[in-house]
Amino acid sequence: MNRSGTSITIFIPGPLREYCQGASTLPSSAPNVRTALEELERNHPALHRNVCDETGAVRRHINIFVNDSHMRDRDGLETALLPGDEVIILPSVSGGREWQSV
Amino acid sequence: MAERVVLMIGTRKGVFVAESAKTRRSFTLRGPFGTGVAVYSTLIDTRGTPRLYASSCNPFFGMKVLRSTDLGKTFKETKSAPAFPKDDGRALANIWALETGAGKKELLCGVEPASLFKSGDGGDSWELVPGISNHAHSRQWQPGAGGMCMHTVLRDGNRVHIGISTGGHYLSEDGGASFTASNKGVGAGFTPDPYPEFGQCVHKIAGHKDAPGRLYMQNHGGWAEWDGPGGRRPGIGVLRSDDHGKSWRSIAKGLPSDFGFPIVVHPHDPDTVYVLPLEPATRTCPGGSPAVWCSENGGSSWKKLAHGLPKKESFFTVQRDAMDIDELAKPALYFGTTTGQLWMGRDGGEDWSCVFDALPPIHCVKVATV
Repeated sequence: MNRSGTSITIFIPGPLREYCQGASTLPSSAPNVRTALEELERNHPALHRNVCDETGAVRRHINIFVNDSHMRDRDGLETALLPGDEVIILPSVSGGREWQSV
Repeated sequence: MAERVVLMIGTRKGVFVAESAKTRRSFTLRGPFGTGVAVYSTLIDTRGTPRLYASSCNPFFGMKVLRSTDLGKTFKETKSAPAFPKDDGRALANIWALETGAGKKELLCGVEPASLFKSGDGGDSWELVPGISNHAHSRQWQPGAGGMCMHTVLRDGNRVHIGISTGGHYLSEDGGASFTASNKGVGAGFTPDPYPEFGQCVHKIAGHKDAPGRLYMQNHGGWAEWDGPGGRRPGIGVLRSDDHGKSWRSIAKGLPSDFGFPIVVHPHDPDTVYVLPLEPATRTCPGGSPAVWCSENGGSSWKKLAHGLPKKESFFTVQRDAMDIDELAKPALYFGTTTGQLWMGRDGGEDWSCVFDALPPIHCVKVATV
């Protein structure tokens, strides 16, 4: 629970909404990004699988922002969440590189 | 009696399904499905009502398995895709092989990093097969240029053959419970020891139900000129086994190159085998002149099959799973190129024609008669 217990908002990108019954946003009261992702894993496991791999790492071509800041520019998964914060999940533009493929 | 010929064509931009009457005069094309996402493996499961499967290797959101129960008119994700146990430390990077298993709805799935998964419910749930995935050698396998992939899963009764690049050939004789590296005679060009116990860059293995001890292998050849430690290694690229893969010998003599990716066996004659030689440096057809090469005597001699294929200026690359053969009385071969062409060779490759000319780069081709 974050300090006030009020909700933060997680924004879900369009391609992933089918994994959370079409919701474009999900509420959370997590105190940090890690806990928010753990909530996702419990409540929306299929959605979480698209965001994180089975080791729990955020997928390479997924970016997570807290408000305007990429979490890597703050405290990564430990980035604290405050009342009213927005957590935005976005696919990056770096994922189009061809796989090595022979 | 088979009425339709169905092709699954996995590409860099999704999977296509092509369908024809058994005359194969013209194919209708559906797709792409899994749009925009690379497909490295497909399966046409003809046990009962046909089911079509495709891996969907999404660089953003991870691996999916797509399934169609209406012969490729629509596809839906299965309920889950293979995933390593949370405490394993490995994460799924690609799906390279989808094959039928022993049970009615059982599927087997070879993945990157090289591991095997099994589904007992047609792909809705998956479990790791530890005998090969956690093999004592598994942490020593290295990635080839395509990644550390388990690309061949071949069942023969209670035997299971696995091909790994680069790991080599592994054999189970207890239904997949345990596996042994089985690479006697399988050469490697990129290690000082030309014949290591394991670690070879096997490209593909094929067998035939009427000759269960016989296997053919396209291995990573192209080392005839190597003059470093261990000496030259000619002919290590195309191999045959007659003892269930326990030992292998070269059958590359007569081919223009022992390098290539796919290897395919005639559906009605285990002595007839097809390869598509490539230049090892460029991985394209020698001289820009594509040809499938066929042996009708188990690899003792080879003949070139190029009628209808371009004679020059065509630098095709055909990947390991991008050639297949149908099971009609006079079977047709099919191969797809990384330049997006799908070719069909009637009469066992005697007469080639281009079926589709401008698909996305093709990773894999499977055919079935339904």
